[in-house]
Amino acid sequence: MSDEAVALAYDDVTFRYPGACGDVLSGMSMGVPAGAFALLVGGTGSGKSTLLSLAKPQIAPAGDRTGQVRVFGRPVDDLDGNEACKVGYVFQDPDNQIVCDSVWHEMAFGLENLGTPQGEMRRRVAEACYFFGMESWFHDDTDALSGGRKQLLALASTLVMQPRVLLLDEPTAQLDPIAARNFLHALFRVNRELGCTVVVATHEPELMADYATCAFELEDGSVRPVDDLGCLRRAAALADRGVAMLSGGGSGDADASVDGRVSGSSARAANVPAAVSAQGVWFRYGRDDDWVLRGLDLEVRRGEVHALVGGNGCGKSTLLALIAGTRRAQRGEVRSAISAKAILPQDPKALFAEECVRDELMEWAHIGGYGVDDAQGMMAELGLADRCGLHPYDLSGGQRQMLALGKLLLVRPRLLLLDEPTKGLDRAAREHVADMIDAARRDGVTVVVSTHDLAFVRRVADRVSLMFDGELACTEPVDEFFRNNLFYRP
Amino acid sequence: MAQALRHTAFGTMHPAVPAVFLALTLGLTMFTPHPVLAALSLAGALAYGAVARGIRSTLLALRWQLPLIALLACVNPLFAHRGSTLLFSVLGMPVYAESILYGASMAVMFVASVLWFQASRDMLPQDKMLSLFGNALPVVSLMISMTMRLIPRFVRQGHVIADTQDVALSCADAGARRAEIGRLGLMRRRMRQSSVLMGWAMEDSLETADAMRARGWGAAARRTTYIRYRFTLRDAIGLLLVAVLGALCIAVAWRSSSFSFYPSPSPLGPWPCYIPHAVWMFAPAALHVYERSVFA
Repeated sequence: MSDEAVALAYDDVTFRYPGACGDVLSGMSMGVPAGAFALLVGGTGSGKSTLLSLAKPQIAPAGDRTGQVRVFGRPVDDLDGNEACKVGYVFQDPDNQIVCDSVWHEMAFGLENLGTPQGEMRRRVAEACYFFGMESWFHDDTDALSGGRKQLLALASTLVMQPRVLLLDEPTAQLDPIAARNFLHALFRVNRELGCTVVVATHEPELMADYATCAFELEDGSVRPVDDLGCLRRAAALADRGVAMLSGGGSGDADASVDGRVSGSSARAANVPAAVSAQGVWFRYGRDDDWVLRGLDLEVRRGEVHALVGGNGCGKSTLLALIAGTRRAQRGEVRSAISAKAILPQDPKALFAEECVRDELMEWAHIGGYGVDDAQGMMAELGLADRCGLHPYDLSGGQRQMLALGKLLLVRPRLLLLDEPTKGLDRAAREHVADMIDAARRDGVTVVVSTHDLAFVRRVADRVSLMFDGELACTEPVDEFFRNNLFYRP
Repeated sequence: MAQALRHTAFGTMHPAVPAVFLALTLGLTMFTPHPVLAALSLAGALAYGAVARGIRSTLLALRWQLPLIALLACVNPLFAHRGSTLLFSVLGMPVYAESILYGASMAVMFVASVLWFQASRDMLPQDKMLSLFGNALPVVSLMISMTMRLIPRFVRQGHVIADTQDVALSCADAGARRAEIGRLGLMRRRMRQSSVLMGWAMEDSLETADAMRARGWGAAARRTTYIRYRFTLRDAIGLLLVAVLGALCIAVAWRSSSFSFYPSPSPLGPWPCYIPHAVWMFAPAALHVYERSVFA
């Protein structure tokens, strides 16, 4: 009886990575009731992913485990073949978990693996496609899908295997806010309509707190239930700029940044020359493609932090590429008065060429003309001083982003272009990125940042442009922008 | 390149039918140096192009096809001084009518083959072709699918890596930039970029491997394959028709292989022999018109 009531049970589980000095999980116990929508919250590196993956032995990390993980009363180690698929797992990155080139093949992939007969396979794929409303893109190439659809496909292709427990590791971290909501809504339907037990590990519980029926917090290797779900609902907002200055760092630091802001506003009045200006810019990627930018005008002032916000595929990244000069407009021109530029792509992995953090920061020494001391200083500033010997890929997501940003800042660009610098980062890491941008602004660097993260915009930006339909719908100082917006606000 | 046609001949058939048809068509076209058969093939291919792609684009393509045929017809006599009907002499070289006919036939065969290859892209798009593989060789088809998934992704990532490095170069002083932009520097940078891409791809593939295992990779001893195109009775009949008519055409082609251009062309008749060929070559155009006429 109780076997059916508890979907996923951890009994006194301890886990230690090989070679690590401490336990990631120490004697933790947890029981997720059948049919629950459970949240697993906790800071980065608290072991949420490890905890989840222990319930799926096929992907569990190597290490010493004691204790038992049970799915509906059965130890997970005893489940094999078809039964193992009673536990479904959805990963964070929509791109990495897609295996096949077309949507229909991706949907069938898991069933093919299980050797499901043809007729049964057709029926299950059909059902899942209807459930998620995927018919219109069933024949598309997976590569051409938006991030939101990719993640939905990952969910659907797991669901065709008819799991009873669904584990998701930060499933919305890589999605824009609208796509994240769509995904969560689909997940909610899986939970309520299909009765599938859902466990989501996340560092941003506020998005899904409304769907959750229970929550657990992982801290120092042990789990405790969260009694008040309401407290998860309150967004852990980024500290206001003023507050951040008073609480964080020395007082001298605070003065400097307040000054920075004041000079920013006076610069606005003094009408300093534009760092980047564009007039009537038209751009499309291919001869037969649609216009991405249609007669866009833009002015970025020298020394300001200019944010570009807007929906998915509205052309933010394209505009950054035009400013960087890696693409050229078909009509009109993007003029940049600053020649020393650097661009941070969405995925920091595009920058990592070396075996350790120290070498990574020295890689562009010949370009930037800086020395070991500068790199050491930067490491301290990035909070990576104790990680200098690690491989960049062994850092956490936030630390990787910091490393990439630091590598760019070392070549001393005067115009810094950032594409989604807070994507997938937790609050502390976002705060850290914001501090780095503040510091850069104080040095007089002009920053253009494209982002979905409106709280982050409020925290760092001077002016905001809302992109829509290939143009800038409006450009306003940050306070005014959020005061006037009805829905588009953090 | 133009978009793939949404509906055309064999569109509702199992891919095996157009695959066999097209393979036979290409074979019949490429290996029968016979003026009438070659002309029929070209006419059929042109007819299909005209109904499927539009008369305008077919005529526009003739701009290079006709001169090519004329050119080959004129070039052949320069090398082959054979035949029985002397037309005239150029610089002491005899030019025979048979030699021109032979050149023209070869050119027609060549142009017809090119056109049929173009048509096969419409009648048997890539996904259908791959599904043929899939049924026979599930592992190969999965490998192809995974590769096709990775190629556009690697290309995109490669661009991001190169762009990031190139933009950062704008921060270098003049001397450092010159060293980097030079041929050696460029080569070094491209090498570096490919190693970054390699690292990135490896890192991502670890997660892909996990995702595959999480969805039962290796769980069953035998994988099955999701078949999008079912082979029905109608397809069997279609394939049978293709086989019967194909056999007739091959027989005619076999018989006509005794045809020789030199010293004087063998007789062309009997004419009814060419009926199977005509039916065969014009079938795609007719089927296309039929497929569209459902909504006419």
